[in-house]
Amino acid sequence: MNTAYSLWVMEYAAVPNYPQSGLIYGMHNQGTRKLPYCYVVIKGQGQIAMVDVGYNHKAHGEVLANTYGVRGWHSPREVLGEIGIQPEDISNIFITHSHFDHMGNIEDFPKATFYLQERELSKWVWTMSLHRKFRWLMLGIDPADIMRAVDLARQHRLVCVDGDREDVLPGIDLHAAFDTHTWGSMYVTVRNDLAPNSQSSWVFCGDLAYGYENLRGHDPADPEYIPIGLATGSQFNVIMTADEMVESVGGDVHRVIPPHEERLKDLYPSRITTAGLRITELALADGEKSQVK
Amino acid sequence: MVDDATATYILENQRCFEDLKQVASQLAGLLVLAAAGSKEALPDHPALCAARELFREAGDALRSARPTERAGRHHAHLARAAALIAVALKESEGVLNVDRILIPLRAGYSELEQAADALPGFEKVSFSRACCGGAHA
Repeated sequence: MNTAYSLWVMEYAAVPNYPQSGLIYGMHNQGTRKLPYCYVVIKGQGQIAMVDVGYNHKAHGEVLANTYGVRGWHSPREVLGEIGIQPEDISNIFITHSHFDHMGNIEDFPKATFYLQERELSKWVWTMSLHRKFRWLMLGIDPADIMRAVDLARQHRLVCVDGDREDVLPGIDLHAAFDTHTWGSMYVTVRNDLAPNSQSSWVFCGDLAYGYENLRGHDPADPEYIPIGLATGSQFNVIMTADEMVESVGGDVHRVIPPHEERLKDLYPSRITTAGLRITELALADGEKSQVK
Repeated sequence: MVDDATATYILENQRCFEDLKQVASQLAGLLVLAAAGSKEALPDHPALCAARELFREAGDALRSARPTERAGRHHAHLARAAALIAVALKESEGVLNVDRILIPLRAGYSELEQAADALPGFEKVSFSRACCGGAHA
């Protein structure tokens, strides 16, 4: 079987001690875990794409470090440089949702076309027209990101996707997950054998799952779906989307990749860079050299 | 640390800052839709009506602000932000011309960012309620 894409999960910062309750519904008073901040690189078929781009350190780095305990931020140039890629090499970026830590750093990718669900934008705007007593619904949104998105649209580098889209690049599909973590979240499927009924699919789920507990519960022998710690939409939709994602990879839960899941290191080869950031290698395209050995 | 009078200024003007930020966001959101070709980007969009109403309230609050010497720079940024956002709102009457609105809007938001940097207590993004930023160090 041919492998079309190399897939890497690139850590760019982390919160060493994040409350479990913020991630896995119902885990109150059960301590903390490391919450890595990551984006995903998809390289192959003559293109380099990414899932999400991280947060804007220039604007928020100091506040996030001093107040919220985010540590070790490094720029995309440094992070991607570890696998021989420059930000200018990135051609396509799939934004799973519009929170600051997923789409804040769009200005660092000057040549990329960005894909975002149209509903994520239009519901943002609708939410902003509500009275301030509804401001919780705006959580995690940076107004500056909205202005950067205007620039992208004017440069014809913003593609508003309306629902599912197959083969946005060969073997790469976008799936809408409306009214889940956010109004217009989406997840990205890579069919790494390029086959329509792939036997080698991967799902990059953004914040539709923070950790594997969301996808298999606390007892792998008796799996269940447990919602994420935060949803603007409904937890019912979150659970149904979790099932959709797991089923789409043939039930192999470890082929659904939550970018905030530290335990990816226990499942896939990885290495720590000199900056202390982890690179996890999920797959290597035919002819591609490992970046973690 | 800030003195008591400045602390009072901060508490009294957080709402004005938040409202101006919201107005800027509402306008920017509409511009994204317009620039992306959305059929929802119309001059009578509810977000624009809400922005105009909120801006009136923010303007009233700004006029009644009593900045201390320590808060002077903050207040100056806030006043400049309001003036620039007013221009952007004016430009949004009738057809939504992205370029004509975006220039003063971006400058206005930059003033808000500088205001946030000038004094504690003014957040550019409410990370405390955000999903992956809410863990206090």
